[in-house]
Amino acid sequence: MTEVEALASAKATATRLGKAKRLNALLTPTTVVRKSLLAQAKNAHPSGVLYGMPVALKDNICTLEFPTTCGSKLLEGYQSPYEATVVTKLKDAGALIAGKANLDEFAMGSSTEHSAYGRVLNPVDRTRVPGGSSGGSAALVGAGAVPAALGTETGGSVRQPAAFCGVVGIKPTYGRVSRYGLVAFGSSLDQIGVLGRSVHDAARVLSVISGRDPRDNTCENRDPLRLPTVPERLEGFVIGIPKEYFPVDLNPGVRRACDRAIRALKDLGAAVRDVSLPHTAYAIPTYYVIAPAEASSNLARFDGVRYGNRAKDVTTLADLYQRTRGAGFGPEVQRRILVGTYVLSSGYYDAYYKKAQQMRALLAQDFRNVFDRGVDLIFTPTTPTTAFKAGERTKDPVSMYLADCFTAPANLTGVPAMSLPIGRVKGLPVGGQFIGQPFLEDDMIEAAYALERAISGTEEA
Amino acid sequence: MSVTPEEVRQIARLAELSVDEEHLDDLAAQMSRIVDYIAQLSQVSGGEHAKPFIPGPDLIRLRADVVAPQPLEGKLSDFAPAFREGFFLVPKLGAFEGAEEDEE
Repeated sequence: MTEVEALASAKATATRLGKAKRLNALLTPTTVVRKSLLAQAKNAHPSGVLYGMPVALKDNICTLEFPTTCGSKLLEGYQSPYEATVVTKLKDAGALIAGKANLDEFAMGSSTEHSAYGRVLNPVDRTRVPGGSSGGSAALVGAGAVPAALGTETGGSVRQPAAFCGVVGIKPTYGRVSRYGLVAFGSSLDQIGVLGRSVHDAARVLSVISGRDPRDNTCENRDPLRLPTVPERLEGFVIGIPKEYFPVDLNPGVRRACDRAIRALKDLGAAVRDVSLPHTAYAIPTYYVIAPAEASSNLARFDGVRYGNRAKDVTTLADLYQRTRGAGFGPEVQRRILVGTYVLSSGYYDAYYKKAQQMRALLAQDFRNVFDRGVDLIFTPTTPTTAFKAGERTKDPVSMYLADCFTAPANLTGVPAMSLPIGRVKGLPVGGQFIGQPFLEDDMIEAAYALERAISGTEEA
Repeated sequence: MSVTPEEVRQIARLAELSVDEEHLDDLAAQMSRIVDYIAQLSQVSGGEHAKPFIPGPDLIRLRADVVAPQPLEGKLSDFAPAFREGFFLVPKLGAFEGAEEDEE
């Protein structure tokens, strides 16, 4: 790509972002993004592997160019004094940062209806949610406004919206990508991931942002991910199908799409084997102890003193803390802080938090048992249903939480996982999920390349 | 309800979060729904001896349910090159107009 082509890419992206405005997926004003994209295109590294490629960022990833709000009133207009390592790596590779994408407040949610800046619409059907919490990133990619976007995962927040919007979403192994400059939610779970219009787009962005970072001691001392070649066949791959991910009440359309994908994997030469992950049903209750517990601690820093907005006319320091947080956090964030504080309080610590950590160990053992028996990858549906209607689950938090029942196990155990489109049901996208072994993202991506070529992600199942 | 409005008030105080009195009943109902759901973990046996996937309960330092400053890992005086009588000594950053005259 030449500088002229990079400028053309910047202009075309700005126009596409303008057209996607009605989705409410982008928090940065389009005029600001246009100006920034043009300036970036002039200064981008021409030798970079992503030269001229626009990439939007979920707005809990710190940037110098744009405010970082986390979808919260508390951080309205907050300007970070530094940028995330992933942003520096993208720029060094010549990518153009295409603004900040809307999200559930502080990445807490499964529908992107919990943003202080309004809900995001699904580009496939605007009456439905795009999934969450990286719903803005997924909607921008799904609408064709950008070829790739960064999202973040704590319980499935890249893969679930990828499935709902008909795009590819990759959550790498815990420790594969630096989290320096990511606003923390659940530190033992959080990981930055990528959404892309194709496996290749998502994988090449992941390859750029992966690798060691001395500024994040949870980031493994490893080289960046090397992209696998696109395979013709999947001979030699053993793919496990866990029965717990195919319950009797699984949406019939989702089941049909998965069955078709499994047939395609067999046709490609993979050996498909039934496996069991017996503690899967306990992943969501485990997640909803550990994630709120960590969130209640991480979000203690937002007290009106150090970051963002603060309450006015306060009389004491305690009053400042309480009223800033009470007015600044939305209902879902408040609920999770309260649940997190509750499960960590002295009367309940053993009953909930300690028990959840033990369950987490059993979930990790489930995966080890399967992989130790020669299985390379696990294939499942990404979500039990297609995108649901806006407002359908906001009244009952537990029904909303269950949207992540097939994605949360990978976060609790740190293994890599990805979603790719495997068909449609009544016009709505269905995602198929590969779960891989720690730091073997290349195997997962190789199988996804082959499956993507073998079946149409937009065909009715 | 497994969580009472009074417990919500107490938890909100620990979380340093102001909560409207009129929303206490709703919050108690929502928290009860969530707590009842996660309580299913207590019915599962096993795992007591399983090694946690990441640093877990064994490494966590417990403290009482009170709002109080967190104890520092090191001494306060280690945070700056010079510390005297409870104050950090730092280089003079600037002077107000007329300060020199006042000093004289």
